[in-house]
Amino acid sequence: MDKKVNVLLFFSLVLGFPILLLILPKEKASKDEKRKLAEFPVFSSQSYLSGIWTKLVDDYIDDHFPYRERFIQTTPLFHAAKGFQFKNAERVVVVPKKKEKSSDTKEENLDTLSFLDEFEENFSGSMLIIDGCVYPLGGGSPKMSKYFAKMVSEYAEKFPNVRVFSAVAPLSSAFIPAAKYKHFNVQNKKTLLAIKENLTNGAIFSDVFEELNNHATTKLYFGTDHHWKPLGAYYAYVAFCKSAGLEPIGLDQMTKKVKYNFLGTMYQYTHDPSVLAHPDTMEYWEPKVETEAYNLGAYGTTKGSKAKVFYNTSSGGNTYSTFLGGDHPMMRIKTSVKNGKKAVVIKNSMGNAFTVFLISHYEEIWVVDLRYSKQNLTRIIQENNINDVVFAIGMYAAMSNGTIGMMRRLAIQSGNYVAPILPEDPSDEVLPAVNPVPGVEDTLNPRQ
Amino acid sequence: MVFSSLTFLYFFLPLSLLFHYSSRNDLYRNVFLTIFSLVFYAWAEPMWIFLMIFTAFANYGAGVFIEKHTNTKKAKVGMIAAVILNLSLLVSFKYGGFLYDNINYWLTLPFSRPSNTLPVGISFYTFMVISYVVDIYRGEIKAQRNPLNFLMFISLFQHLVAGPIVRYSQIETQIQRRTVDWAKISDGVSRFCIGLFKKVAIANVAGVLVDKYLNTQLYEISSYEAWFGLVMFSIQLYFDFSGYSDMAIGLAKLFGFDFHENFRHPYAAVSVADFYRRWHISLGKFFRDYVYIPLGGNRKHHDRNIFVVWFLTGFWHGANWNFALWGTYFGVLMVVEKHLKVVLDRVPRFFKHSYTLVLIVFSRALFYFTDFNQLGYFIGNLFYSKNAPSSGILSDITAHSFWFLLVILLCIPWDEIYGQNHSVRLKTQVVYGYARPVVNALLLLLATMLLVNATFNPFLYTRF
Repeated sequence: MDKKVNVLLFFSLVLGFPILLLILPKEKASKDEKRKLAEFPVFSSQSYLSGIWTKLVDDYIDDHFPYRERFIQTTPLFHAAKGFQFKNAERVVVVPKKKEKSSDTKEENLDTLSFLDEFEENFSGSMLIIDGCVYPLGGGSPKMSKYFAKMVSEYAEKFPNVRVFSAVAPLSSAFIPAAKYKHFNVQNKKTLLAIKENLTNGAIFSDVFEELNNHATTKLYFGTDHHWKPLGAYYAYVAFCKSAGLEPIGLDQMTKKVKYNFLGTMYQYTHDPSVLAHPDTMEYWEPKVETEAYNLGAYGTTKGSKAKVFYNTSSGGNTYSTFLGGDHPMMRIKTSVKNGKKAVVIKNSMGNAFTVFLISHYEEIWVVDLRYSKQNLTRIIQENNINDVVFAIGMYAAMSNGTIGMMRRLAIQSGNYVAPILPEDPSDEVLPAVNPVPGVEDTLNPRQ
Repeated sequence: MVFSSLTFLYFFLPLSLLFHYSSRNDLYRNVFLTIFSLVFYAWAEPMWIFLMIFTAFANYGAGVFIEKHTNTKKAKVGMIAAVILNLSLLVSFKYGGFLYDNINYWLTLPFSRPSNTLPVGISFYTFMVISYVVDIYRGEIKAQRNPLNFLMFISLFQHLVAGPIVRYSQIETQIQRRTVDWAKISDGVSRFCIGLFKKVAIANVAGVLVDKYLNTQLYEISSYEAWFGLVMFSIQLYFDFSGYSDMAIGLAKLFGFDFHENFRHPYAAVSVADFYRRWHISLGKFFRDYVYIPLGGNRKHHDRNIFVVWFLTGFWHGANWNFALWGTYFGVLMVVEKHLKVVLDRVPRFFKHSYTLVLIVFSRALFYFTDFNQLGYFIGNLFYSKNAPSSGILSDITAHSFWFLLVILLCIPWDEIYGQNHSVRLKTQVVYGYARPVVNALLLLLATMLLVNATFNPFLYTRF
């Protein structure tokens, strides 16, 4: 009897879930993961023989498995049951490199990045958890800074009448509240100062690290997310203003708002119960400036869809998308500040919270996401009489072959997608690299 | 496709079972099973399937030929030709790049390096067909006359990708006709669920720690961390491989086959030789029957025969010199154990068990590091490192304390301690009999949860 029960129970499970998968409605996107879920692939003999079709079917089943989110939310119980979990204990977890999804980054999706949001890097490696806050254990390498600085300097050389700024954000590891991790503070500082030392052709260094470090007793980065808090971005903006000869607007002159219960990417990495128990609160400030913003897509500079600088309804895992609505290939912001000044901000997601403060100082701002924009930046800078170009990028991305390759691509691409040069692995540079980074020299050689 | 994937568990498996049990006709069942096995293989390897089918039909023909000319020179020629063909394919596809690199190091070759990927399962099915033709030549089995049945034998999805190396003689009668009943299917379900749990909840968890402690900056780790990483790798290897074998054996039962055991609690071994009587048994038996004994076994050149077998065993595991070193290491240990047998027989069991475990765990370093510079550096760290252990190792141990306990419990050979008719065993079997439907369902759901979570991919990897 028990044998029959054993068999029937097993069979009902292995038959039940696929039936549920077939009949239950399918989500198109995962809110928690902020990405589109896989679609069932169209069969072709070519895609089958190359092994892509079967992989896409696997992805589809993985992404639409019945009660997937419920299963994912239950997983921490298993991890907690593996042993003694000391609440708020300091520990290091290793985030393995995620497998590459075959359905990711299709060319045709580049104009509609509503779910890409801020997920630009494949963070992996050692993460420290203290008091429910997650910090990547790394601090960049001055060697990579040299290449980044050289690239910024090339922009300064190419546009002699434009001020070119480097405003790279440190990693949150610089501000770990424990003495024994102070060396990451030093490492972050050295990495960023190496940019300063290697800038030439009049490129300007904004000392973001110094300004943040002066306020390190305040919490400047999220504990559950890999971004800085708006306050951290504000001090970066102050640093930029100092280097640009601008008067920063005081926080008290802006409208303060608050959002609660933010569980960001670092929680998604670790699924750590102590991180879950410490969701972030996000205080942010809106400059009192009227704006009109358009998302221009990856390829077009004339057409565009209406956008906003602040998305006050973004919440939950999307809280950081409050700023510019997440990542878009290109955004044009016109402001009520009629001073005739125009800026281009070349950024990854770290730059979003920073850019919103600049609306107090420019009549027009072009926000270019260096990963997704396919437009020729040289033309945009020249045709629009841009005054300032600001590289506002997080260190994790700034120090990678991929980013440096993309910075070059932005300036020379014709408006159609141009493959970057040797972006072998954009994710493995900032955390202390096990191996030297091959091909870096090549990325800096002019293409022609 | 692998057993521990949602596609296999919830689509391939139920569909293949439905088709198989939709007919009582053995011919139809074999047709369904063959088709599903080919789909299974082609899921990941659409191109290499032709190599596998070619191997199957070539050996089918060789088998018929050898049997037709039994006890003649033609049979011997046929057998040798088939073995050479099989080994040539294995060497070409598995060791082509390795041979090229080594020859090209001394002589500049006039052609470029072969760049093919390793056809999945080639190491396993090549040994299966070799044993098949040799056994026919030896007159131990009859050649299979039905090409469909032979293709099914080679391509059975239960063993195709990662073994065990099933001998034709083991399932000869089951290929023609299989009897299944509730008890057998129920045993298959239980075995499969346990294997799945071992793979997903033990091996994969250990794998994360292996990555943390071995795939890291070796100049930063302490001796404690190096040993801890090796122990984790030992756990990962055993539970990964034995879990897969458990699943294969369980799946075979679901379709009416009986595969032989491939692991018998190897970490309970009291000597290195004992360890390899318990570890990957089907491979050990293959080398014993087709290499060791033909070379003379323990009758002549015993030490040489041991070395040859272990050198080959090492290379079978991978096309790299570290695997040869790993095999030679065990060859040396086997010979030393053989010569010290009189002494070792007298020492306490605890000592024998301990030295075996230390030597086995150490051998994992030779298995893990394919780069000799890294290997040398790591071994140096194992015995002397200036680095102090990080606080992470303690938190990892405490955070996995229950899990470690479970690992130890699963490594203990309970069935050897409590023999067939032991009262504890009988009582446990009664209780487990009632509990196992729920236990299996929970194991399956737990594995599903962890597999679903493995697909959790919040960080978009941008292909630039």
